[in-house]
Amino acid sequence: MPLEIDPGARNPAPEANERLVCAILAEQVAALRDRMDATATFDLLWRTTALLSWLSGLLNDLSRHSAHTNPVLERERAEAIDEIAEIRRGLDELAFSQAQKQDFARQIADCVVIALERMAVAEMPPGTHFSSLDLADLYVSEQQRDLHAAVVSRLNGNAGAQVMK
Amino acid sequence: MPIILVLDDSATMVMSLSHILKGAGYEVETGMNGREGITKLTDGVKPSVILTDLNMPELDGIGFIKEARKIASTRFTPIIVLTTESGGRKRDEARAAGASGWLTKPAEPSQLLAVVKQLCPSK
Repeated sequence: MPLEIDPGARNPAPEANERLVCAILAEQVAALRDRMDATATFDLLWRTTALLSWLSGLLNDLSRHSAHTNPVLERERAEAIDEIAEIRRGLDELAFSQAQKQDFARQIADCVVIALERMAVAEMPPGTHFSSLDLADLYVSEQQRDLHAAVVSRLNGNAGAQVMK
Repeated sequence: MPIILVLDDSATMVMSLSHILKGAGYEVETGMNGREGITKLTDGVKPSVILTDLNMPELDGIGFIKEARKIASTRFTPIIVLTTESGGRKRDEARAAGASGWLTKPAEPSQLLAVVKQLCPSK
């Protein structure tokens, strides 16, 4: 007698598959989010700015305690201090701006992880357990809401076009 | 030295804000969520200004502001919301809870320091 395989065993229910995919994706996006940590980079940037401040102070102290003043060296010292201050300001701005960008990316990833986790465990019929409004509740910025509105509008437009065909 | 209390669930943001504020001569206390912020306040930390994120675990920014306003020592302390949110609804919610100001990320260090200095003129 030929082997009979239950079709259900070969192809799990589509809903179960989707939940499994959501659970896997949630884990993968969570791993991606955790890799966004750039604390070591920022720490190095801030140590550099602290070092620059220290060097600037040191140049001032050396000049103040020098017995012989050399006009050329004095001018170069002043120029170096100005340059150090400018670089320090630039590094501070760069670090702060990058930290905020990284934080925003992390929050967007968080939103995706939460959505996928909820879709993976919902005890409701497929297609009804997580709506676009539920997703919108997770947003942390107007940028995300604008993107959401643009996608909904585009899909609604496409749906309308398909219906007309 | 004026104390600034910084609350954000991002370690990078906390480090970044601390670096900028310390560089400008402020003393900085930090927390990773609103609950840690309330614990700092009840433990006796008396900040001149509080900077808080909105989206944080355990106790979010709005919840923190509401609870901080119930504590006598921080009833009138300036609380600035520093967040990615720029929407009017959230802003109204924060104002109703007792927030004194709002700074949308990404912000420049100079903007941050100008706001803090304005609220902390004794420095």
